[in-house]
Amino acid sequence: MSADKLYSRRATPFELVDIDLASATDPEIMEISRESGTGLSLEEMHRIRDHFSAKGRSPTDVELQSIGQAWSEHCCYKSSKVFLKEYVFGINTNAVIDRGDAGVMEFDRDHAYALRIESHNHPSAVEPYGGAATGIGGIIRDVLCMGAQPIALVDPLYFGPLDFPFKKLPKGIKHPKYLFGGIVAGIRDYGNRVGLPTVSGGVWFDESYVGNCLVNVGCIGIADKKDIRRNAVKGPGDVLVLVGGRTGRDGIHGVTFASAVLTKESEKESRGAVQLGDPIMKEPVIHAVLEANEKGLVNGMKDLGGGGLSCVVGEIALAGGCGAEVDLTKVPLKEEGLAPWEIWVSESQERMMLSVSPRNVDDVLHVFKLWDVPATPVGKVIPQKVVRLFFQGEKVFDLELEFLTAGPLYCRPCSVARSARNRREKHPKAKARYDKELLRLLADPNICNRDWIIRQYDHEVRASTVIKPLQGKLGHWSHGDAAVLKPVEESFRGLAVATASNPFAVGIDPYRGGKTCVDEVCRNLAAVGARPHSLTDCLNFGNPEKPDRLWQFREAVKGIGEVAKALNVPIPSGNVSFYNEAPSGAVLPTPTILGCGIVRDVRRCVTSDLKGEGNTLALIGATGPDMGASAYYRMTKCHSSKVPDVNIAALKAGMEVVVGGIERGAVVSCHDVSDGGIAVTLAEMCIGGDTGAEVDLSKIGKLRADARLFSESNSRWVVELRKGKEKAMPKDRRARMVRLGTVGGDSLRVSSGKLLVDTDTDRLAKSFNETLWRLL
Amino acid sequence: MKISKVKVCVLRIEGTNCEEESYLAFKRLGAKPEKVHLKQLTGADVTADEKRSLSDYHMLVLPGGFSSGDYVRAGAIFAARMKSRLSKDLVDFVRAGKPVLGICNGFQILVETGLLPAMSGVMSDVPEAVLGTNDSGRFECRPTLLRKVNRGRCVFTTKIPEDKISLIPSAHAEGKLMFPIERRDRILKELYENDQVVFKYVDPEGRLAGYPWCPNGAVDNIAGICNRDGTVFGLMPHPERVFFRFTHPDWTRSPDGSGDGRAVFESVLDYASKKL
Repeated sequence: MSADKLYSRRATPFELVDIDLASATDPEIMEISRESGTGLSLEEMHRIRDHFSAKGRSPTDVELQSIGQAWSEHCCYKSSKVFLKEYVFGINTNAVIDRGDAGVMEFDRDHAYALRIESHNHPSAVEPYGGAATGIGGIIRDVLCMGAQPIALVDPLYFGPLDFPFKKLPKGIKHPKYLFGGIVAGIRDYGNRVGLPTVSGGVWFDESYVGNCLVNVGCIGIADKKDIRRNAVKGPGDVLVLVGGRTGRDGIHGVTFASAVLTKESEKESRGAVQLGDPIMKEPVIHAVLEANEKGLVNGMKDLGGGGLSCVVGEIALAGGCGAEVDLTKVPLKEEGLAPWEIWVSESQERMMLSVSPRNVDDVLHVFKLWDVPATPVGKVIPQKVVRLFFQGEKVFDLELEFLTAGPLYCRPCSVARSARNRREKHPKAKARYDKELLRLLADPNICNRDWIIRQYDHEVRASTVIKPLQGKLGHWSHGDAAVLKPVEESFRGLAVATASNPFAVGIDPYRGGKTCVDEVCRNLAAVGARPHSLTDCLNFGNPEKPDRLWQFREAVKGIGEVAKALNVPIPSGNVSFYNEAPSGAVLPTPTILGCGIVRDVRRCVTSDLKGEGNTLALIGATGPDMGASAYYRMTKCHSSKVPDVNIAALKAGMEVVVGGIERGAVVSCHDVSDGGIAVTLAEMCIGGDTGAEVDLSKIGKLRADARLFSESNSRWVVELRKGKEKAMPKDRRARMVRLGTVGGDSLRVSSGKLLVDTDTDRLAKSFNETLWRLL
Repeated sequence: MKISKVKVCVLRIEGTNCEEESYLAFKRLGAKPEKVHLKQLTGADVTADEKRSLSDYHMLVLPGGFSSGDYVRAGAIFAARMKSRLSKDLVDFVRAGKPVLGICNGFQILVETGLLPAMSGVMSDVPEAVLGTNDSGRFECRPTLLRKVNRGRCVFTTKIPEDKISLIPSAHAEGKLMFPIERRDRILKELYENDQVVFKYVDPEGRLAGYPWCPNGAVDNIAGICNRDGTVFGLMPHPERVFFRFTHPDWTRSPDGSGDGRAVFESVLDYASKKL
């Protein structure tokens, strides 16, 4: 079928089409939606038809495209908003300065920090290098447009196994190793060139990510409070100045591509949806934007991300209670011949929209000229809440903002997934010794040393990374829990940044899994001496039109919100990424949590590597038989539905004990207990410190030996106490501290009644260090 | 001259990205640094207020980063832009004994400009060395240990005792110092004779070691060199990143003392205050 007869091309020297929706049958309407590439549903198309019928005319292709962007899942959160509102919005909003493209929180009396995380999954699955690079570019702009100087990047990544057999690879899907190489390189080349340290992140491997890898990107920024701007115009008369890169055909339909499942045709059909990144345009854009803003020349600004101009113009104008008129002819182009709808929805990179008072326009243009960055006035703000577009003198678009931005909201059906909850419990056989198991866990791709990746990212540029992602004695690196930045020259106050996710737990029990993710990010922050202050989340799930996927989403969000609310830690920004599915199925439900914490004095921070022979080791927090989703059960192909829950009182108390102990100088090293349990935690601490330890686990409760070693119960930390300072540790009966043993020797010896592990630290290190170097 | 009068030009273009921390290193020691865009020196697109002259400054710093994306070759575009418009100013600057520091990308730029190693005169017409791709083929961000081998020529290291090992981290993809094969041995011999070799990559025991202690495979493990007068200095590692102890990668193991990079800035300011 063709809907050709419904399109009538206007007699203009450029492509402009009126679409006769009023005379279209329902099948024809769906054909129009399909041909436009917008993915609008029949119901949504009917709303558009009725709206234009009331106006007495047909929509233009520019208008239909624009509505398609604005109403996409990616832009209007139509399937998720109802749950986000119920569970995560509105937590401790008094502490939040602004929630725009990035959330803004108070850092100290004079400074604020901005944070945001989002996904760039589908572009990276099709074009890993460019997809990941432009993901970084986009998240930097989200922070920049709040008026903040970006200071750090965060990159959590999720892949299929690196040694996945090529024979089993579904059609049209790229091998995990290829994706991994391209994505790491894309992040490296963009982040390093633009001069921002990549300080935190993570890599997870699971077969569910083979068909649809996940690339999440986060950014943190800092600003003087007086320089913080809203993503809004000041009022009528403001000039809209488009700055940064030129507009081209790259990145057309990015948001609609992100709002559909991947297919084997995605490579062919959607490559053009991936933008091309240019860090050496972005770097001067950052300088020029901040300089113009600090001089007080900018009233408000917003980045051009998903939907390009079509989203930014309406949103920045409406946020100031206004509308706008834009002349698309003025937009600087990469090539001649773009149709107005292409200019309007292109997602070409490195672009920002500044709203500027007329008297300041020349000064703004001068700042950008010095940095050789294009800056062009393209429109003006008008009092009516409408957007009108002109191209070569022809009006091509005239829409009420309230209609354009009032995307549909759905309360789609949810139903309990046929999840692993009903799977039969299967427990591993008890063993006399667990040396081999520990070595295998350390070599597990989900646990092993990430130095292969981390050392390719500059994590020290800007010279304010106080606690780095790799920690330990020179030449003996292990992982830390959180990075700490010292963002203000005159102050020792620190900003800690940590990333957490546990898709395995969420896959078995999304509610407890969601809670676990928040617990983990909090204990990561506490482990360096920071108190959690704000969170931002990137929620990667499957197709929300399938009730079991949406149920996972709802339960996970509920869990996340519950713990955040109990801790009174706000979530001032976030991102939802649905449709992470390929024909092979959905990815594990994957909420990524990025947490920021405040450190009172960075000189008090601690790292995870063991420091001194003879120091006491202790465990804070209670250990239970929580083996569900544990690395040990996954490795032994066993199963338990008992995913760790979070005892909020114990979490709160535990954090105070740990942070208090660090601030009082009693704790000299600390590591949270997560994947692989106490055994892996201790091993990592030994590897970083290049020392051994003698540990007795008999006092942590009545448990099987493997649970003592490998349980992943939440809210736990292992601490090393400074000799003579043990008594300075805060005490709280809700977060008991149990003495485990002492630091020293050349091997990690763990017993509980009898010896369970006795392995040389060198051997542990070898297992831990070799995996990625071998697989890549 | 008082240190508080020493004016430092921290020069940048698009992609220069370590200017803030380089600027701060001088500011913390009481000097007068200023971040200056290359166009402010060449006079393009700037107002009278913004225009600067290189001769107004006592010191020139080329910070790290990826100037112009390091497309073509690391530092090549910045060097070409500088050389085409400022050759004479640069030569006069160096002749006047004013110090020039190039860190990481800045070192690459100095080599591309011909200001280092400058075997004959102040500035060679074509580069006499290159900072090639690391042997690993990757960007390497890692702690590196540098032994000071300079016997006193370099004005940037006078406050560092000979043979002292300093922890100054590296972060680069192109840091392998190389010379033209046919002239390599002669250039090296001259560099040693002129006391132009400043830092070498070593392991914790102070031995010349391979990867990862030498992150790039540089000839003779050389991390930094100076010109014959010791006033132009380039190095791949980043002293500005370890100005304070608490940005050392292992500072939590020994938190006391100052950062190892600080002495580089103190040395050159000491020189400036006594000789300029």
